[in-house]
Amino acid sequence: MVKAVRGTLVKCDASIKAMLVDIDNRNNNDFIIEDLDEEHLLVKETKVATLKAQLNQMLKERLKDPEKEVSDAED
Amino acid sequence: MPPKRKAQAVAEDEFSWDQDDTPLEDQDMYDELKDVFAPAQQRTHMRRDAASFLFKFDHADAVLKPDHASRPLWVLHNGRIILESFSPLFDETQDFLINIAEPLSRVSRMHEYTLTNHSLFAAVSVGHSGKEIIARLEKYSKTTLNPEIVAFIEKSTSSFGKAKIVLKKTLSYIESDDPTILRTLLEDGIISSCRADNSEGFIQEAAPKIGVMAIPGTKLAAGASQVAQPAVTEPQAPADMITALREEDDEEEVAQVHSFQIRSEERETVIKRCQALTLPLTEEYDFNNDENNATLDIDLKPHAQIRYYQEKALSKMFSNSRARSGIIVLPCGAGKTLVGITAACGVKKSVVVLCTSAMSVVQWRAEFLKWSNISPDDIAVFTADSKKTFPNNAGILISTYSMLTTVRNRSYDSEKVMQFIKSREWGLLIADEVHVVPAQMFKQVTHTIASHAKLGLTATLLREDDKIQDLNFLIGPKLYEANWQELSEQGHIAKVQCAEVWCQMTPEFYAEWLRSNTNVNKKLLLSSLNPRKFQACQYLIDFHEARGDKIIVFSDNVFALEKYALKLGKAFIYGGTPQNERLRILENFQHNELVNTIFLSKIGDTSLDLPEATCLIQISAHYGSRRQEAQRLGRILRAKRRNDEGFNAFFYSLVSKDTDEMYFSSKRQAFLVDQGYAFKVITHLQGIEDRTDLAFDTPQERRELLMEVCLAKDTDAGEEKIEGDMFGTRFASGKTKKTRVKRTAGTLSELSGGQDMAYIEYNKSRNKEIKAKSVKNNFLRKLKTSTANAKKKAAE
Repeated sequence: MVKAVRGTLVKCDASIKAMLVDIDNRNNNDFIIEDLDEEHLLVKETKVATLKAQLNQMLKERLKDPEKEVSDAED
Repeated sequence: MPPKRKAQAVAEDEFSWDQDDTPLEDQDMYDELKDVFAPAQQRTHMRRDAASFLFKFDHADAVLKPDHASRPLWVLHNGRIILESFSPLFDETQDFLINIAEPLSRVSRMHEYTLTNHSLFAAVSVGHSGKEIIARLEKYSKTTLNPEIVAFIEKSTSSFGKAKIVLKKTLSYIESDDPTILRTLLEDGIISSCRADNSEGFIQEAAPKIGVMAIPGTKLAAGASQVAQPAVTEPQAPADMITALREEDDEEEVAQVHSFQIRSEERETVIKRCQALTLPLTEEYDFNNDENNATLDIDLKPHAQIRYYQEKALSKMFSNSRARSGIIVLPCGAGKTLVGITAACGVKKSVVVLCTSAMSVVQWRAEFLKWSNISPDDIAVFTADSKKTFPNNAGILISTYSMLTTVRNRSYDSEKVMQFIKSREWGLLIADEVHVVPAQMFKQVTHTIASHAKLGLTATLLREDDKIQDLNFLIGPKLYEANWQELSEQGHIAKVQCAEVWCQMTPEFYAEWLRSNTNVNKKLLLSSLNPRKFQACQYLIDFHEARGDKIIVFSDNVFALEKYALKLGKAFIYGGTPQNERLRILENFQHNELVNTIFLSKIGDTSLDLPEATCLIQISAHYGSRRQEAQRLGRILRAKRRNDEGFNAFFYSLVSKDTDEMYFSSKRQAFLVDQGYAFKVITHLQGIEDRTDLAFDTPQERRELLMEVCLAKDTDAGEEKIEGDMFGTRFASGKTKKTRVKRTAGTLSELSGGQDMAYIEYNKSRNKEIKAKSVKNNFLRKLKTSTANAKKKAAE
């Protein structure tokens, strides 16, 4: 029996993709349906919002914002 | 910084602004001082317009002068001064500002300075009076001067120079021509506890006469016009400079000076305390009248011509014919050593020179012999290899910081030299690369060496910690800072194009980077060995080699350095490279047309002098160190070909995108940006995707590289430790390191030696090729040929 899942195509940088895959791995592969190539992913449509939120949080944790930090450091 | 102010202002409540009392953003480290000397922060009245909520102070109530367009300065309430560099009055104004204020940033069109009490202090001692400073600022300013600024300048200039600290027979004294000032000082508990003599009264003597000093090497010294008084050095007693307002009569009187002695080891405490009491001590050395110390016969050779900026720097040091202690900041390659030597020739007393490594000790000695007429016997070198003193009464001693401060047991010889150093009085202490010395260490040095004047030399008066302010007390204020852009315009240092190249991380590497969250070393290694970065590096090397450039590639990480160099077939030098191999590689780089690229680890940051290099690529660096960035840039500033028509040196910084490197890179550039360098961002190298001969082109190769990186031991990934070098480690003695057993992951084949079993050598070290020297011993040669034959057979 064939099971169909609605998906959303996500196009992003290679580095963002790596982050998405990382999130997926940590959540029992709940998000990604198919890993297409370096810059494209097929993601479950229902999970897009959660994935976005998780990605934002991850970005916040992992990356320092150069612009902001520099001006803070100078003054 | 406008963006920052905006962020703050918006967050704050409108009505609280007027009571807002943020401390001045100047370089001051002492809160008491801030209260006394900072220009007032409070505004009673403020006019508002539609945009004023964006700024804390918008200066909307300042009155523009009718002819403001022709005046070059904006003087802000907080002591910052902004100078328009396109104004016709620019040169004149800059000369003036450099005397009274500290440069903060000098980009192409706008220069920013700040008035601090240190800078005003320096201004007073080179002969500017408070009134004169205010009058000239008023002349150049577009708006009428803020009364708070005027009050600030008056207050600062009038309180300086009343008391001074002098050295007599290796003992420290505080001297003033007004005994009441000394009494006020002694009323303070801290200072009186530091007093050494127990007598009630003060020592009295006649004040020494003050003459005019000519800096050796300048026109004044060379020419006959000694009679005509130079404008540079105004004869003026520092103590009564402010009150006297340049009245000639004052100098005729025989003034009396009063003094009391303090314990030498409490010197810094007293200096700091006096600053806090708003009676800062001047530190000047009247070397012309010093008859206790033997005069050293040293002069510049006639061919030594000092450049105008070196003269300016020295004239600030030797104002009113005394030597003042302080720091001179010149970019790498602009002739710091010559400034030091000229200063020594000016003082003509015994001199101690302190450097960071044994290598630069040798360089300093060579420079002394090159530029001055001193006899080689009078220069003593005190390092681990040579422990000598000079035979005559006066001479020059060159040593390293670590030699003087080591706590380990000394050998008999060096103990003898130490006794010699401690027992005598020195005219001048020259501290090279003064920014690297930990404050504690320098304090110890100043205890050991009783010197009348101290001169600090550096290219980058920067530290990532806040220790830089300590130098104000340990050595003295910043006397002069050169304008990098001006020097490169005039061809004294090379013009440099700076670029930051952004390299995408490959997905495999980035995934691994994300995974190794806590392992900082591994993350560093992953981002510096990113295959895309590797390709970019290869591309740039090929491109510049084709243009005929000589290239230096810098990597902080030795593991990455080795990988790059072996893969690309280039020579490399790191801390572990033997001395003779090093020299051979460097010689080849300089003279051999086939060796155009070398890879250097951190050891290349400072001490190497390679005037051939014209292009610099940086693949990994020490976090956000602005100093390292500037020092590395310094490697190409002295490029030999700099005076060729249209010549440009290149500085590339390769950065892996979406990693911490991006953040650190922007921090690192801050200093150079302030010096007027602009970094271009290159996101894509033209034509890189068309090339198929680049390394790690296939995913297979990339995965292999990733595996190697993952298997690299923690120790490989860590930072290089270099012995005897102040830059690498905080304390030069690296021998005390403990060796401990460590558990690391590895493959079984590695343990059995299978990993190194290679039949065809792919990653051949270029170092060996350059070296290629036959083995001299007969037996060893035989052994070598036989093993080589055996290998060949095995390969077949």
